[in-house]
Amino acid sequence: MLREKGFNAFILVGGLAAWRRAGQPVESVPREDLVKLPTFS
Amino acid sequence: MTDLVALISKHGYGLVIAIVFAEAIGLPVPAALAMVVAGAAVAGHILRAPVLLPMALVAMVLGDTLLFFAGRSTGWRLLGFLCKVSANPETCILRSAESFYKRGKTTLVIAKFIPGVNTMGPPLAGSMKMRFSLFLRFDAMGAALYILAYFALGFAGRDFLKAMGDTFQTAGHAMEEILLAGVVVYLAYRIWLMKKNRVYRVVPRIQVQELIEKLKSEDADKILVVDVRSHGYYDPEAARIKGSIRIEPNNLEEELQKFPKEKDIYLYCT
Repeated sequence: MLREKGFNAFILVGGLAAWRRAGQPVESVPREDLVKLPTFS
Repeated sequence: MTDLVALISKHGYGLVIAIVFAEAIGLPVPAALAMVVAGAAVAGHILRAPVLLPMALVAMVLGDTLLFFAGRSTGWRLLGFLCKVSANPETCILRSAESFYKRGKTTLVIAKFIPGVNTMGPPLAGSMKMRFSLFLRFDAMGAALYILAYFALGFAGRDFLKAMGDTFQTAGHAMEEILLAGVVVYLAYRIWLMKKNRVYRVVPRIQVQELIEKLKSEDADKILVVDVRSHGYYDPEAARIKGSIRIEPNNLEEELQKFPKEKDIYLYCT
């Protein structure tokens, strides 16, 4: 869809796991970005 | 079934309890069948109902309780693991959680009768922080219903069991064929899915090392690294590539509006 809309998009092979394996930096997901699932509490 | 009758006659309560407990913790053993045979054994004065029924109930609730606390201690990771085998892992967690939130108590009562769902209920209740006393109440109701239903079936229909035993081998072969057909259909579905997804292979791919080099180059400001995971964002300890942003893949049309067209977009998931 990105390509259809004219964006120059690429896919990172291996994703986050490959990025970590390469020893590259990661950061915590910001709290506001976390998806809140329903809980009974 | 005749083997099971012989085994239960010989090993009595211990075997029934072990089968019920094993099923409760998710092992593929026939607890319903064991309870039917145990019901017939009680009718035939081989076992005693006042001993058998409480023990079976405790075994089942104990197994469920273990899964409940497994769910509570692993959070969404357990559900994430179970969702990996679903048709759409990206939305499985959210759909399962919402569905259980709406019908969780009823689900716990009837889940025992639904293969697959029976193992999901307790860990989901744990993951979703259901109060243990509430879980215990509804789970015990479900377990009692399940145990009593199959026990009563065996108790009332013990005369039919022998006839069933004679035809069980034939039925067993039929079941094997049904299972085999199920596996073939599932494999065919996965192959169809793989072929369908081939269309996406036209999107260029980039290795991690290439991206690292691009990020170190002068064109680094023209690069946008985008996290397209859905699951993984439920875990408060979730991490992502430093400097990346997230888009919700199920809401791509809307999300695209905030993308600058002059930038190269590098997508990644787990």
